[in-house]
Amino acid sequence: MSVLLDISHIDMEFPTPKGPFTALRDVDLKIAQGEFVSLIGHSGCGKSTVLNVVAGLYQATRGGVILSGKEVTEPGPERAVVFQNHSLLPWLTAYENVELAVKQVFGKNKSKAEMREWIEHNLDLVHMSHAMHKRPDEISGGMKQRVGIARALAMQPKVLLMDEPFGALDALTRAHMQDSLMEIQAELNNTVIMITHDVDEAVLLSDRIVMMTNGPAATIGEILQVDLERPRHRLELADDPLYNQYRAKVLKFLHERHSKPDVPTKKSVPAKPNTAPAQTAGDIKETVDNAA
Amino acid sequence: MNTATVIATKFSGLKLPQLDGTFFSNAIRLVALPAAGILAFLLLWSVTAQNIDTSLGKFPGPAAVMEQFNALHDEHQRSREKEQAFYERQEKRNAERVAKDPNYQPKIRAYTGKETFLDQIITSLVTVMSGFLLAVAIAIPLGITIGLSQALNNAINPIIQIFKPVSPLAWLPLVTMVVSALYTSPDPLVAKSFLNSLITVTLCCLWPMVINTAVGVAGIDKDLVNVSKVLRLPALRHVQKIVLPASVPMIFTGMRLSLGVAWMVLIAAEMLAQNPGLGKFVWDEFQNGSSDSLARIMAAVLVIGLIGFLLDRGMLALQKLVSWDKTAN
Amino acid sequence: MTWNKPFKTLAASLALTVGFSISPATAEELGYPEKEELTFGFIKLTDMAPIAIAYEKGYFEDEGLYVTIEAQANWKVLLDGVIDGRLDGAHMLAGQPIAATMGFGTKAEIITPFSMDLNGNGITVSNAIWEEMKPNIPKQADGKPVHPIKADALKPVVEKYKDEGKPFNMGMVFPVSTHNYELRYWLAAGGIHPGYYAPHKGDISGQIDADALLSVTPPPQMPATLEAGTIYGYCVGEPWNQQAVFKGIGVPVVTDYEIWKDNPEKVFGITKEFAEKYPNTTVRVTRALIRAAMWLDENNNANRPEAVKILSQSNYVGADYDVIANSMTGTFEYEKGDKREVPDFNVFFRYNATYPYYSDAIWYLTQMRRWGQISEDKPDDWYKELAAKVYRPDIYQAAAKSLIEEKLATAAQFPDFETEDGFRNPQTHFIDGIVYNGKEPNAYIEKFDIGLKSGQKL
Repeated sequence: MSVLLDISHIDMEFPTPKGPFTALRDVDLKIAQGEFVSLIGHSGCGKSTVLNVVAGLYQATRGGVILSGKEVTEPGPERAVVFQNHSLLPWLTAYENVELAVKQVFGKNKSKAEMREWIEHNLDLVHMSHAMHKRPDEISGGMKQRVGIARALAMQPKVLLMDEPFGALDALTRAHMQDSLMEIQAELNNTVIMITHDVDEAVLLSDRIVMMTNGPAATIGEILQVDLERPRHRLELADDPLYNQYRAKVLKFLHERHSKPDVPTKKSVPAKPNTAPAQTAGDIKETVDNAA
Repeated sequence: MNTATVIATKFSGLKLPQLDGTFFSNAIRLVALPAAGILAFLLLWSVTAQNIDTSLGKFPGPAAVMEQFNALHDEHQRSREKEQAFYERQEKRNAERVAKDPNYQPKIRAYTGKETFLDQIITSLVTVMSGFLLAVAIAIPLGITIGLSQALNNAINPIIQIFKPVSPLAWLPLVTMVVSALYTSPDPLVAKSFLNSLITVTLCCLWPMVINTAVGVAGIDKDLVNVSKVLRLPALRHVQKIVLPASVPMIFTGMRLSLGVAWMVLIAAEMLAQNPGLGKFVWDEFQNGSSDSLARIMAAVLVIGLIGFLLDRGMLALQKLVSWDKTAN
Repeated sequence: MTWNKPFKTLAASLALTVGFSISPATAEELGYPEKEELTFGFIKLTDMAPIAIAYEKGYFEDEGLYVTIEAQANWKVLLDGVIDGRLDGAHMLAGQPIAATMGFGTKAEIITPFSMDLNGNGITVSNAIWEEMKPNIPKQADGKPVHPIKADALKPVVEKYKDEGKPFNMGMVFPVSTHNYELRYWLAAGGIHPGYYAPHKGDISGQIDADALLSVTPPPQMPATLEAGTIYGYCVGEPWNQQAVFKGIGVPVVTDYEIWKDNPEKVFGITKEFAEKYPNTTVRVTRALIRAAMWLDENNNANRPEAVKILSQSNYVGADYDVIANSMTGTFEYEKGDKREVPDFNVFFRYNATYPYYSDAIWYLTQMRRWGQISEDKPDDWYKELAAKVYRPDIYQAAAKSLIEEKLATAAQFPDFETEDGFRNPQTHFIDGIVYNGKEPNAYIEKFDIGLKSGQKL
């Protein structure tokens, strides 16, 4: 297995008035071409920091990131990011949002017609062809996120970085989005790093799940290899013992070994210990509480 | 609407079609209430006016002001006729001179008669818009630069904070002297007085626009900036594609704010510096001290108010047209 | 209206042959104007009339001049406008070109080829002061006060204010204005000291040793300032004295006609540079102004009502017709209802009103010396030389002669240019009876009780 992305012994410190705060310590991870890796952990554990370092938005204090043999020093379209809050430019239509990226990345190599085709192709991929001339404030949250994904895909990145892409969506939409993402992944076989709170999402989508310890000085606690056959179907998997085993492992890691004593608990959304994969509404906190 | 209602409406002649209560409540809200307000104001005005005796006679009521609007209109018409005659005389004189002196290059000189009320309105509008546009041309790039660079912001902010509260009228004498010292073309493109008013307006518009633009730019959603970084947009394209559109709402807020203030200040500056425009009209009338003066000043006051209102509405309309954020009001 | 209609009307009224025009020969002789587009400034006073009439009657256009006329905020702005070139020329206080050339205030070489009028000013006091003055004024048989009213009647009032520690403030329009000197002349003739200037010490307030404190207010703001109580009286040109009567806020007590009969008043000022650079334009402007002045006084003031109508337009003086008409048509209203005939209150042409006499300039210089604006003694020759620098009868004569040649005027309407030396005969008719001879300025200065004498320096 050839290594595409090497996250090599990263330390991340942020300056604060009280002295440097160590967010990450010795995060070390190698990712192969075509691999789907999830980062899971409690809020504030530094998952996003890892992603930002890979994206080039942060510079690691020590260690570094090597993509295809080159060190990452700044952000770039070969490491496209899907942000949690879609981050579409509100004054541009879906098409124009994707166009901005396509023009920037392929402006010199593609003709106008080719670019147009490519933009439409990507919007089609995320099932947004019907609303491509609508502005962000005219479409739903899920649709916005689809456009965000289309924009990232349209850059043809070497690595697709997704920062809790479905975190702000309702359960049903989220399930749809996950299914769409799996479809796209089956077709394109991208290398993906995704941050998530959601255990089911992580198990369903990933080839590997990287579980992170709590900060400060967060690091990789365990890595779980998910050897489930693809294509995966959430309903079939619900009864799959292997699937449930993986789920339990992640939950156990999160709850038993690294639970945060001060995480506030919410009981408003009841979720059973054996939550079916379709019921992914509860985020990690609730799931953890109920699993206990 | 089903057939029954159509028939019912047709036959009940006097009855309005089935309009629900909102039509009427809207009509009351949008037409009746403002009309009532204006009517009450006019009534109050005319009653109060009758009871104020000035050394120039009674304070003008609505009727006197209306009369002056007519008088001003007539004056305008007469002035236009005189202008016509002036040009005719001039052409004739030029022709005579050319007949005697074939080398003479005749030229048509602009009408030298007095500015009418309408001319003064136009002068003021042109001045305020030119000064405003000049301010836009300076303030928005400056505001963007400051908003993008924390260091520059730290450097320039104190200056802005000190100059912001200064009434542009305090600048006026300095502007006047500097303009007359530096602007010494024998055949000037624009009059010095115009330049003075224009610079005063610009000074007045500058600060709110710089500040609002800078705040707007500095406050852009971090994710949008990250999008730009991931796309590796070059600086200029970043400004054009991300910064400018994102800060348009704030920029417009600053523009509307400053245009409103500019209009007020311009009138005062024209009064003070005797520069052509509505302010000069008001001042001249005050100086004239004729029995019509107060009514004419009141007419000017109404026009100034109306124009101020229209300028603001115009800016708002422009903002709605240009900005992606349609929630402004 | 054809371009030469007003001009034909004038020709007819002068009972001269009709149908002539500016003959080609003369036009070439005089030459076309070098500068055709001109801007002239004025202050809202009735004595700006020659400029307004020259414009409205087309006299400027007849000369091929396209003139814009602009009201100015005050005399300082107006003078600065002429100096910095914003204005090509202006209606000026007689003292302004003299003081500017001399270097009192802004230094600049300003000349005048045309004197604009005689008389036309008045002194007004507030109603309250008038009530206090009235008991001191002798009455006629009909109960009305005897005119001219002297400042003697004001003296007890000023003294009372002085005793109470209240400054007695009065307004005039400019430090070198006719009004300043007339007000001072009237006050001093009544024993009230109007104060000295000491420019060599940097004191240009003019209030040293003063009983009455004089300060500057622009003419059109005089009534409002009086009404506000900032000043108790003022000296100003028309219509701002009559305005006070109409507004019921003050009473004119004396006119300058009574202080000094037929005193020279405003002048038309241009820079020396302008006159040198544009000689034809200068002569042509003078021609137009002479014709306007002639029109204003023609047929025993027959045109005055029309002139008043023009002046009452808001772009000229702008006051009500009645207010302007009061003084312009040969009457003057003192106390409300006390309207008296003063046929020569505004003189624009007769008595050689427009001729720039050296002696007129010298009178202003004597008053500048008297009140300390000229801080040191000067020989009589100095007075004459300075006057000759500023007052330019040569330009006036060129204009007048060409008008005579074109039969637009007759030689009899002007002084005899062959013998004219620029000095009026010794003038009497001052309120204090002192005779003024322009040839002997130093001797004249000696005659006053109040005022600096030769050898005196503050």
